[in-house]
Amino acid sequence: MKLKNIFSWIALSSVIAFSCDVLEQEPETQISDQGAFTNEKSADAALAGLYHQMQAAGYYGRNFQIISDVSADIAQSIGTWDFYREMDTYSLDASNTELNNFYIAGYRTVNQANNLIASVPGIEMPQAKRDNLVGQAYFARALAFFDLNRVFGGVPGKVGTKSVVLPLEPSRGAGPATQLSRPDLAVGYAQVKSDLLQAISLLPEAQASDAFSRSRAVKSTARALLSRLHLYLGEWDDVITTSTAVISDPRYTLVADYANIFSGKLTTEAIFEIEFNNADQSGIRNWYLPSTGGLGGRGDLAMHTDFVNLIRTNPTDVRGAMFGFNAAQGVFFPLKYQKPGNIDNVHVLRISEMFLNRAEAHANKNSIALAVADLNRIRNRAGLANYNGAMTQAAVLLAIEQERAFEFHIEGHRFFDLVRTGRALAVLSAVRRTNSSVPIGIGEAFKQIMPIPRVDLLANPNLVQNQGYGN
Amino acid sequence: MKKTLLSALAVLLAVGMGFAQQRTVSGTVMAADGSFPLPGVNIQIKGTVQGTFTGGDGKYSLEVPSNDAVLVFSLIGYTTQEVVVGTRSTIDVTMRENVRELGEVVVTGYGEQDRKTLTSSISSVSAKDIENIPTASPDQLMQGRASGVLVQSQSGTPGGGMFVRVRGSTSITAGNDPLYVVDGVPILSGNLSGVGLGGNQTNAMSDINPADIASIEILKDASATAIYGARAANGVVLITTKRGDNSKAKISIGSYYGSQSAWRKPDLVDGPTYEMLRNEAAVNNGGSPIFTNIGSRPSTNFADLVFRDAPISNTDISISGGDPKVQYLVSASAFNQEGIVAPSAFDRKTGRINLDVLATDKLKVGTSLLYARSIRNRLRNDDNIAGALGGTHFFPPNLAPYQPDGSYTKFSIFENPVAVINENDITMVTNRVLASVYGEYEFFPGLSLRSTFSVDYNNVKEDVYDNTLLNAGAPVNGSASSIATVDDNWIQENVLNYQTRINGRHDLGILLGTTLQQSKFERTTAGGQQFPSNDFKRIASAAVQTSSSDGSMWGIASLFTRINYALDNKYLLTVNVRRDGSSRFGSANQWGTFPSIAAGWRLSEEDFMQNLPAISELKLRASYGITGNQNGIGNFQAAGLWSGGANYTAAPGTQPSQLANPDLKWERTAQFNIGVDFGLWNDRVTVTADYYNKQTTDLLLAVPVPISTGFTDIVQNFGEVENKGFELGINANIVSTTDLNWSVQFNVAQNRNMVKKLAQPIAVYNRDIVRIEEGAPLYSFWFHDQLGVNPETGNPIWRTKTPGAQFDPNVDRFLVGDAWPDFFGGLTNTLNYKAFDMMIFFQYSLGNDQLYWSRFFQEHGGTRDTNFLASQLGRWQQPGDVTMIPRMTNANYAANLRPSRFVEDGSYIRLKNLSIGYTLPTDVISRIGMGSARVYLSGQNLLTFTNYSGMDPEVTSTAGNALTQGVDFYAIPQPRVIMGGFNITF
Repeated sequence: MKLKNIFSWIALSSVIAFSCDVLEQEPETQISDQGAFTNEKSADAALAGLYHQMQAAGYYGRNFQIISDVSADIAQSIGTWDFYREMDTYSLDASNTELNNFYIAGYRTVNQANNLIASVPGIEMPQAKRDNLVGQAYFARALAFFDLNRVFGGVPGKVGTKSVVLPLEPSRGAGPATQLSRPDLAVGYAQVKSDLLQAISLLPEAQASDAFSRSRAVKSTARALLSRLHLYLGEWDDVITTSTAVISDPRYTLVADYANIFSGKLTTEAIFEIEFNNADQSGIRNWYLPSTGGLGGRGDLAMHTDFVNLIRTNPTDVRGAMFGFNAAQGVFFPLKYQKPGNIDNVHVLRISEMFLNRAEAHANKNSIALAVADLNRIRNRAGLANYNGAMTQAAVLLAIEQERAFEFHIEGHRFFDLVRTGRALAVLSAVRRTNSSVPIGIGEAFKQIMPIPRVDLLANPNLVQNQGYGN
Repeated sequence: MKKTLLSALAVLLAVGMGFAQQRTVSGTVMAADGSFPLPGVNIQIKGTVQGTFTGGDGKYSLEVPSNDAVLVFSLIGYTTQEVVVGTRSTIDVTMRENVRELGEVVVTGYGEQDRKTLTSSISSVSAKDIENIPTASPDQLMQGRASGVLVQSQSGTPGGGMFVRVRGSTSITAGNDPLYVVDGVPILSGNLSGVGLGGNQTNAMSDINPADIASIEILKDASATAIYGARAANGVVLITTKRGDNSKAKISIGSYYGSQSAWRKPDLVDGPTYEMLRNEAAVNNGGSPIFTNIGSRPSTNFADLVFRDAPISNTDISISGGDPKVQYLVSASAFNQEGIVAPSAFDRKTGRINLDVLATDKLKVGTSLLYARSIRNRLRNDDNIAGALGGTHFFPPNLAPYQPDGSYTKFSIFENPVAVINENDITMVTNRVLASVYGEYEFFPGLSLRSTFSVDYNNVKEDVYDNTLLNAGAPVNGSASSIATVDDNWIQENVLNYQTRINGRHDLGILLGTTLQQSKFERTTAGGQQFPSNDFKRIASAAVQTSSSDGSMWGIASLFTRINYALDNKYLLTVNVRRDGSSRFGSANQWGTFPSIAAGWRLSEEDFMQNLPAISELKLRASYGITGNQNGIGNFQAAGLWSGGANYTAAPGTQPSQLANPDLKWERTAQFNIGVDFGLWNDRVTVTADYYNKQTTDLLLAVPVPISTGFTDIVQNFGEVENKGFELGINANIVSTTDLNWSVQFNVAQNRNMVKKLAQPIAVYNRDIVRIEEGAPLYSFWFHDQLGVNPETGNPIWRTKTPGAQFDPNVDRFLVGDAWPDFFGGLTNTLNYKAFDMMIFFQYSLGNDQLYWSRFFQEHGGTRDTNFLASQLGRWQQPGDVTMIPRMTNANYAANLRPSRFVEDGSYIRLKNLSIGYTLPTDVISRIGMGSARVYLSGQNLLTFTNYSGMDPEVTSTAGNALTQGVDFYAIPQPRVIMGGFNITF
């Protein structure tokens, strides 16, 4: 009898002892979304998270630059990764994984920015700090909307009619409210402009250190991006104003030795450089460098041989030395990003772009001499003599176009530059590839814009696909 | 001491029974064919604890109280017999081997039951069916032996993962794996690895030693599973391990050794053929040939360098026995399997102690204790192009494996397969303790309370080292990671059981229980890069070091009850209710209730059936019930979350990681089952047939949300999935004579899976090759439907959505097949002739599609510079050629084409196992003290009949993505094994 009681007691007490807490579990590595913005420290953490989104492999970690260079006559796909080969051969499909990766990374940046914009004003901190945080969020949102539209929207007046969708509120759940429609392309560009103007008004001139000012947004970072936006919109006077504002900022100067821009980090050339290190590695090096020669890269991508030969036409051009040769496959690979450990920073905005933006604006306004003056700044730095071609608008514009290709190869400019100038169909009509015995061309105008990822068309019934692509 | 105790007990019993007429009976117990005496037979006087067992010569002697005494003779594997003593003093008995029949006891959730009165659908696999099968993992043993249970190996990787589905897949996002319960303890199954090597998964079930298993029961219908409520929707697999019995110590030793080889290697072209094909493509594209002097370069067959013959061996020893009070089984085992692709290997050592002690006449206590240590050498493979098989397929065959300077030849993004084999260094060491203690108190006959506390503790340590000779290590001067994972579970259960018979005809059983379970997962990861040289492998030597730790937990609390009622053993009723609370759901929906009801009618017990003596058993049964599922979702899936680790250089960062869904609740599966059990000629032929209909609603579904939210999906209760099917099992003892026995077991099952409701189609995997759509089954392949190749032009002919329209690769994609078999099952023939025995086991799967995804990459038509499969040689070359392989041009093999010709018929019939054994004569072996001895030869995967052109029609390389199945992508095929072994007992 006694034994029975003892046994029952043990069984019963074990139920009581353990039952209290098995259903009460708390996450250990996450916090609830209500707890994300409680004080200045948590707002700082969310701000670091904002730059973390731009570091993503799907975005500036590698993918965004590769999308542009592989789609243009700069780089080619020589490996198995079909998704870059689809871009390289102009046979894009709405299921392209890399386009989807960029699309996700872009909107993750937008959502993080929207969270900061919505929540930081309610947190106790000095007003200057608050403005600084919100200003950086506006800058990041502008950059993401701009980049998304360059890939999926087009350029107003050139190609494309619809902007990507523009969520301006932080996401809290699912539902019809999240099923946004695509506004007109002009609305998308106007949103970028308005976000940049907000950023310029809120951001400080400098962050806590010079390194921070170049790896986080300040007023001039937003001005520089605004200069690029005006260039896309053909607003030449505004290009000149904004470029000049940045050029006259004494912190930004052309680095004498072109190679040092890439071998160093956060040089005076840098307006906005996304920082990478051993814990946060960038991927461009890995994708271009071959596995041979102890380089151990993935080697899925290579330079277009014609491009390397073109840049080397002039032997004094130091940019022609920025390539290695992969003898096993007979292709060139870029050396801009080659630091062991994949710790290269990524260059989003450089001062040389401001000179070339301004040169192009002057040329379009037929101020040929001013245009050539800016162009020569870049040519001279690269070891080239002054421009000595025809002093016609058409010739100078072509010279600027080529200079941008040489200057910014592997930095993700070329395809979008050709699309915004309306030159893509002509320039990319017959690109010779290593893995094809015949050249390949873009062919059709609709291919200047890429397809919205199929998964999102399925998830959002209000979304429409770009013309020429299926669902 | 033991003898003293026993005699004391005997004296007590004698006193207790007053002055009974004590006398002695003795005799010999022989096997039914009369060829040998049976040792270790338990002989008990019915209704008492008095008993004895036979010695090595089969002889026994026992004091009996009276002529009315009934002796019960029992031995595992033999039919139990009862004999009235009468006036005899010598009682010789022959015992018949218990070939699987309806009269057995089956293990059920929280109990066991005579199959004759069972109202639910349960498949059983006995120890005898599965002994000496050369496999690491017990779940694989169910393949082809349990109707309705679809079992497929993900690959031939030793200790690798399994795909197990009981009556189809009920879920999309939440898991579809059954719940595994070992000796009453729900255990951890699946993958515990923290290293991403591709689709290759590890299998926690392979910690269980198959030789320890007494039986595997698969609970299939809702009546059988509902007692496991919230986690039972995918079926429950009960594994019961062997325990000691009331007999003298019996020592069993079993051992086998075998050799494994690839039954098929990838059919890749040689160097000159590769160059010829690439030249042809270049010329077809309007260019000039790439290679001149064809044949002047090396021609390497990388497959021959990669595949090897590999040994497999196993030894297990067990000692079991006991007396009426203490029964024990102690076992140890060592299993070693090397992979047919070096250096993959799996090595397991286990030790087990199962103990049952009758502490008093009311209290029984005991333990089940397993310690297992597994060591895996792993490879990057399966859904990984950078692994050994990826390199084998991609490396151009006109390259030599080594350069003249002795270094490894490197090519593009692929790893030199020879470098993988020599340099790969990935280990996983698992230490697991599965321990349970119980106490069972009998308040009075019929009412007992059983309390158990169990622990499933898994400690996994993984080390990866890529030196500078491997692509992964080269750019960073060597790369290492070290991952320690602890998965720690405890379970406390109390079960009150009451059994009674009222008025001699109403059998009533009532069970009430509680369960509490908590699972805690912790992982610490360290990484290192930049090593001084390849001699340093530990992270301490790395110049760059990173580390991280992570943890999570969940808990479940449950109450359950079952009522069994039988009238005259003829009309049967079972009702189950379980109520579960889970920490994974928000407080609003934390608790769920899962009821079931089942009824059975044994027609064969009715008077009107008695004039049909051929029908020995006929039972109709039906069940309906609801079970739940909470697997596969995150531990905090209902909450809106931000996570850390979103750092920017030195600044710690946070980011949104999950959208909130406070309404999240259990996934529900309602299942209807109707079945019949049929026995003919004294159960020489038995048939079990079942039809079921499972409807799953409120799916825990990762519903895609607009990506503009910054998220890709949110887990919601949305969607419906249907599984319908039938199962048929036939067992027949065709010949049963003294010298010759021949029995056949056959089973076939069909499951029709269909997604009935979905928010929108879900595109799965790279290139959207799998797609989930309403009205189609899961694991459906989505491709450009290639109808043929134009014999005039050599260009592919595609099906278009609009007939006659121009083919548009962005629009014209179709569901072209799925990975589900139309029919699957197995056929076992067991033959015994005198001392010889033979088993022939075929396993089959018919009508399943298998995507040969490696072929997609190796039939590239010259658009890549990598090797070709020989299938490319079937390409169109000149007008009039009829083939499915298009002319080799860039357009015909464009980067955005997903041709359906790679979705192949994956039907197969496999001679899974053939074994021939010989049992040595007793008079020979008894001289050297053995009780029995058997030697055998056996082969595994000896023959495979299939039209599938890849290496194995069964594998799934993309197992890391649960929404895919039947994708063959650089997986190691299952090996063919030839082996020999012995089993002896003392």
